[in-house]
Amino acid sequence: MFAAMLTRLRALLQRRRVARELDAELGFHLEMEIQSNVERGMSPAEARSAALRDFGGIVQTKEAIRDVRTTTVESIWLDVRHAWRSWRARPGFGLIAAGMLGLGIGVTTAMFTLVDALILRPAPFHEPEQLASVYMGSDHGGRTTVAPAVLRAWRESPAFAGAESAQADTAILDVDGRVVTRGIAWVTPGLFDLLGNVTPLAGRLFDPFDGRAGSDDRVLLSEDVWRRLYNADQAIVGRRVSIDGERLTVVGILPADFRFPAWNTVIWRPISFDAPPPAQSGDRPAVYVRFSGNMPRTDALRLATDASRAADAENAGLRPWVRPVAGMVLDAYYQRAVPLLAGGAVLVFLVLCANVCSLLLARFTARRREFGMRAAIGASRGRLMRQAFIEGSLLGALGVIVGAGVGWALVSIARAFLPEVLLLRTLNPLNVDVRALGVTSASGLVATLAAGLLPAWIGARVNAGDSLRVIDRGGTETRGARAVTRGLLVVEMALGCTLLVGATLLVRSFIKLAGAERGLDTSGVITATMSLPSSAFPTPQARAAVARPLEEQVRQLPGVQRVAWSYGLPPGGGAFSVGDWTSDAPGAPVVNMVVERYNVGPEFFALYGIPLLRGRSFQPSDTREDVVVGERLALALWPNLDPLGRTFTFLHARFHVIGLAREIHHPSLDATLDRPEFYHRFAGVGSYAMLSIRCDRACPDPALVRQRLTATHPAVHVVEVRALDDAYFEQLARPRAAAALAFAFAAIAVLAAAGGLFSVLSYAVGRRRREFGIRSALGASPVQIRRVVLRDGLGVALIGATLGSFAALILARSLASLQYGVTVSDPLSWAVVVGVLALTTIAASWRPARQAMRLDPVLLLREE
Amino acid sequence: MPKTEYLQGALDLLVLKTLALAPNHGWGIQQRIRQVSRDALSVSQGSLYPALHRLEAAGLLASEMAPSENNRKARIYRLTAAGRRRLNTEAADWEQFSLAIRRLLQLA
Repeated sequence: MFAAMLTRLRALLQRRRVARELDAELGFHLEMEIQSNVERGMSPAEARSAALRDFGGIVQTKEAIRDVRTTTVESIWLDVRHAWRSWRARPGFGLIAAGMLGLGIGVTTAMFTLVDALILRPAPFHEPEQLASVYMGSDHGGRTTVAPAVLRAWRESPAFAGAESAQADTAILDVDGRVVTRGIAWVTPGLFDLLGNVTPLAGRLFDPFDGRAGSDDRVLLSEDVWRRLYNADQAIVGRRVSIDGERLTVVGILPADFRFPAWNTVIWRPISFDAPPPAQSGDRPAVYVRFSGNMPRTDALRLATDASRAADAENAGLRPWVRPVAGMVLDAYYQRAVPLLAGGAVLVFLVLCANVCSLLLARFTARRREFGMRAAIGASRGRLMRQAFIEGSLLGALGVIVGAGVGWALVSIARAFLPEVLLLRTLNPLNVDVRALGVTSASGLVATLAAGLLPAWIGARVNAGDSLRVIDRGGTETRGARAVTRGLLVVEMALGCTLLVGATLLVRSFIKLAGAERGLDTSGVITATMSLPSSAFPTPQARAAVARPLEEQVRQLPGVQRVAWSYGLPPGGGAFSVGDWTSDAPGAPVVNMVVERYNVGPEFFALYGIPLLRGRSFQPSDTREDVVVGERLALALWPNLDPLGRTFTFLHARFHVIGLAREIHHPSLDATLDRPEFYHRFAGVGSYAMLSIRCDRACPDPALVRQRLTATHPAVHVVEVRALDDAYFEQLARPRAAAALAFAFAAIAVLAAAGGLFSVLSYAVGRRRREFGIRSALGASPVQIRRVVLRDGLGVALIGATLGSFAALILARSLASLQYGVTVSDPLSWAVVVGVLALTTIAASWRPARQAMRLDPVLLLREE
Repeated sequence: MPKTEYLQGALDLLVLKTLALAPNHGWGIQQRIRQVSRDALSVSQGSLYPALHRLEAAGLLASEMAPSENNRKARIYRLTAAGRRRLNTEAADWEQFSLAIRRLLQLA
């Protein structure tokens, strides 16, 4: 360290010495010249001025000598020092530019890290694009799993390289008396081979005979379960654990990041669909296949269709439907929203880059003058370009550092605040994507360099003397600079406007969604879902025997007013039926639709505040054929008739309408979730039971409800207890997140555009002081001068907003799937957009305009 | 007396040749070139000093600050061995070049 300081000191001293010697050398020359002039008979004064005249530019000579003497490394160091000094002279400017660049880089990097982790990165299996889940379906939308025989047929068929089954479920684990629930999957032993890249941490995978009678008591555990529940017990392989009341032998541990087929699957049990012997009767495989690379998909599916029909006559009207595994971890909402938001991040990035460019170019004229001056005193063009390059690189580097920091912070925030459900689905840790950081940093650098090199290029091109003179006298902005800065501002405004339209539509959608009519009173309702395993409760009598104390326990809780059993709970519904519904109305067409079916206890309608518009509610004497219909179903089946007393048929069953209930709605971006419904009388608790609880002012804590239910009978498995408002709120969480993110993007873009407009206009006013002075000397009123500046700003904003609106109209088409109750022609949204843009433009232009207005012509002209 | 823009090679040659006779300072070199060429060639300071420093940086010249005839410190340049070798090759090249030009002119 001391040595390094010494070297630097010596270099510094040496530089001083060189400069001193150069002065002495040139001074000596001048002296000799004067002396020789005197000897030739001139007066000393004459001799001196003649010598100076002969010598020409001393400064230029020095600069030329310095150019010759300094090595490249030295001169780069000089340029770096120069850049540092000029930044120090105006730190605010550099910080703002680097900050904006960094913000753009950071936001874009974070967004692409998310997109990549959630959507683009394939499932971590061997050739995941060849993997798919397959089910049978009709063209009307009905979906069904296949029979075991079909799975066997597909295994034999050349259509697929492999076919296996994986069915997710929930299991109850008993770990030394502690009971917990975890995701489990029943898988055929060959599944792991089908996926590929699955290696157990300990033990083995299933062997081909696991799952058959006698060897179905095997289980694989995830590292996650092993660590959390079994304390990473090294001797667990070969031991028996208690799962769903059975004692199962652990054969292996799988890595924590292997989760299949569901994001929460952490336990795997073998199941065999080999014939004979048939496996657990009634179980049907959920099929996953691997396509072979050398057969076109259409051919493979045709073969698969034939095989399925040959194996099972039920498949006559059906055909296989394929869902790729690579994209299965995300639901439709995220698949639509995340790429759109990533596109929004790109727009923000472009706005910020354009902003940095326009900031740099706003100083175009000043820089040009500086470069012209330096060219005049002998700096070569290469030298000037290099200096501009170094300045741009420094700014860019600062921006990249800021950007990496912002990106890291945003990804950390995402990691901390994104729902765990979503994070686990990525199957990969969420880390800042280095490729995205690289690409955005490179683009940002190119933008700053382009904006930095332009003034140097033009400054060095102009004849040195000319550039000094022209710029000093001109007093207005040069035409080129004006065109470029205004062009960039128009781009910024356009992108900002596009983002603003998108954000407004999303925010409005969210507000509409939150305020949408649900058709029932959701506040003060708690719902509980329970599973009554058939091993503990084999008969309806046994289930009824436990249902009574369960209900009593809940009724005794303070604040509880009403309790109702049902099968099916809003907003998700219960069972839905797909197919042809036939009304008894004369000449009425057959309606094919998806209809929600609820089985409801006596207090259900009163509890939820669903009024019966016609007819009556259920009585104990009602049969399964007596139903209460919702308004939408009634309207579909009997468009102009009173539904009361009428009948309709579905799948050979005839239903008799005893009442008409007000329609309940399921507000969601996915319109297909909001289905018409009808109600059956609740006949008794099944293996899956739902309890609704209405309370007055003080609702019991859902945890208390869960505790009471669990305490009633040890075999009752409480799946979920929650406030109904929370259930609806979850439906809103994602649209709200999307709207908030889009709003943040739009805010950044609009503020950046406004900031750019402000700085460019302020700068232009500074440049045009002389022009304004002359104008007002010629009789222009202050108001007229203000109008000139305001017109400049508003013109830019108007062109930008017009272009941005067109872009938004195009964009809105892809945004349609995220909108609820709002279209792109929504007048309120456009009023908001126009209002916000107009206000920001006026706010950004006001101060520069006032500056221009307050210029004193007399003072100005005297300055000349 | 025509003002001549020198090719850089020609200026280097003039400087090297002048210093081959004796070490000298910049002003001395300038005067010497003028005298020897009988005022036909005049080197401006703006060209001379950058050339001296360039040649020194290239190792063809060496210099030191030393007192001159009027007792002022001046930078005295002298030819290095490398400079002498360069002078020989450059002089030969120049001879060939000027011979070729002369022949061409006589022919025309």
